[in-house]
Amino acid sequence: MNILLYALLKAVIVVAFLGLNAFVLIWAERKISGYIQRRYGPLRVGGPAGALQSAADILKLLTKEDFVPGGADKWLWTLAPAVSLIPAVLVYLVLPIGKTVVLQNLNIGLVFFASVTSFTLLGIFMAGWGSNNKYSLVGAMRAGAQLFSYEIPLILSTIGVVIATGTLTLQGIVEAQAQHHEWFVFPQFVGFVVFYVASLAELNRTPFDLAEAESELIAGYFTEYSGIRWAMFAIAEYSNLFTTSALGVTLFLGGWHGPWLPGWMWFLLKSYLLVFIGIWIRWTLPRVRIDQLMDLGWKFLFPLSVANVLGTALYLMVR
Amino acid sequence: MNWPMVAFVVLGGITVYSGWRVATAPLVTHAALFLAVTFAGVGGLFFLLQADFLAAVQLLLYAGAVMTVVIFAIMLSEMKDIEEPRPRGWLGALRSPSLGALPFIGAVLLFAVMLVVYLRGAPALPVTPLPAPTNSTVFIAGALFKIYALPFEVASVLLLAAMIGAIILTRVEGGRRR
Repeated sequence: MNILLYALLKAVIVVAFLGLNAFVLIWAERKISGYIQRRYGPLRVGGPAGALQSAADILKLLTKEDFVPGGADKWLWTLAPAVSLIPAVLVYLVLPIGKTVVLQNLNIGLVFFASVTSFTLLGIFMAGWGSNNKYSLVGAMRAGAQLFSYEIPLILSTIGVVIATGTLTLQGIVEAQAQHHEWFVFPQFVGFVVFYVASLAELNRTPFDLAEAESELIAGYFTEYSGIRWAMFAIAEYSNLFTTSALGVTLFLGGWHGPWLPGWMWFLLKSYLLVFIGIWIRWTLPRVRIDQLMDLGWKFLFPLSVANVLGTALYLMVR
Repeated sequence: MNWPMVAFVVLGGITVYSGWRVATAPLVTHAALFLAVTFAGVGGLFFLLQADFLAAVQLLLYAGAVMTVVIFAIMLSEMKDIEEPRPRGWLGALRSPSLGALPFIGAVLLFAVMLVVYLRGAPALPVTPLPAPTNSTVFIAGALFKIYALPFEVASVLLLAAMIGAIILTRVEGGRRR
């Protein structure tokens, strides 16, 4: 019975963090985008610097009418937001937050992370098909092509780190960086760049938000969603933004390792720094075209990540 | 309460049920999504058997990559193929009222066999099973890249040849498509 209680407790913690993370990031994204565009962002909702903006947003979303479009594929349409939340929740299982703070230190942590995030496409496709709307379907197919093309360089870019440490556990990778007092971002700089660009594309955020592309597709696969169901997509998206940043921190930036402060604080600080850079890029760069997107993925990032794997392996062999 | 047993029954039930729905779903997109559930269920069964690497690869390759390809194949086929309500031939016959129960009976039988094997162990394996390795990833890597390195490389050359063949077969003369 104890195991079950523990599992339940872990799940509750993760879900609570998911909500908190979305709460902070909704406000942060509005505020940062405001400053980037030389305006103040939210100010008048209440709290310091309009910090209650998220509360107002959430209240609005919760009280909206629960609307199901006519002609929608009801099962798929209602299940899609939940399905897109599943990978967002599951990846927390292997993220090492501190030296001993990890929900489950799996032997195959990194592979688990990659395999769970590959589910994201199913939720998107269910939303796109279930909406019975051509914009939704086109958006979903674009998202599929994009996720598929960028998942390969994303996974390959992490293999350099795996070769260097000889372990797939995320905890082991952080330990290796702590031992040598060297973050992998320096020897694996190419890997880090490929990882970061590919992870931005995986998150469907500008400059890679072809799947939503509001000027062409209204909102892509979100088009028919509103209220609480749309909120579930948004929560999953913000959670994915955090977890991919956290994975980057774990693999390349020393994870929870750092002086003075406790480990979990370093982990959160570094992760939210990467999240900030992600938001910064989103509000600075314009959207790329779909052919540019595919070219970047297949003709630039993919060969670069393969070269990185080969170079790392060769270096370790002759050293 | 025997929790692994409960997990096995739930996962096996989901796997077999969605396998049955793959065969009988009227819409091909629904069949594809049920196929994804089947793959995920098999991945869960691998986790239950503590074959964690195999489970992760099952999820990554089948539920992730293969499903993407299946969905794209569906989307690139013509709309009338997707919307066809009642296919003729043996598939149509399976969905008719008289024979429609067959896939269901098959699925139930499969589930019963799975349950019996799970409860009593596989009967008389032809070879004695290896002792379960503690870290299956290291074990698989050693087998793949040391003991069976040559067959592994031959298989990858075969796959590469198949891929190049597919590109050449679908390529239109003159370079540009249409």
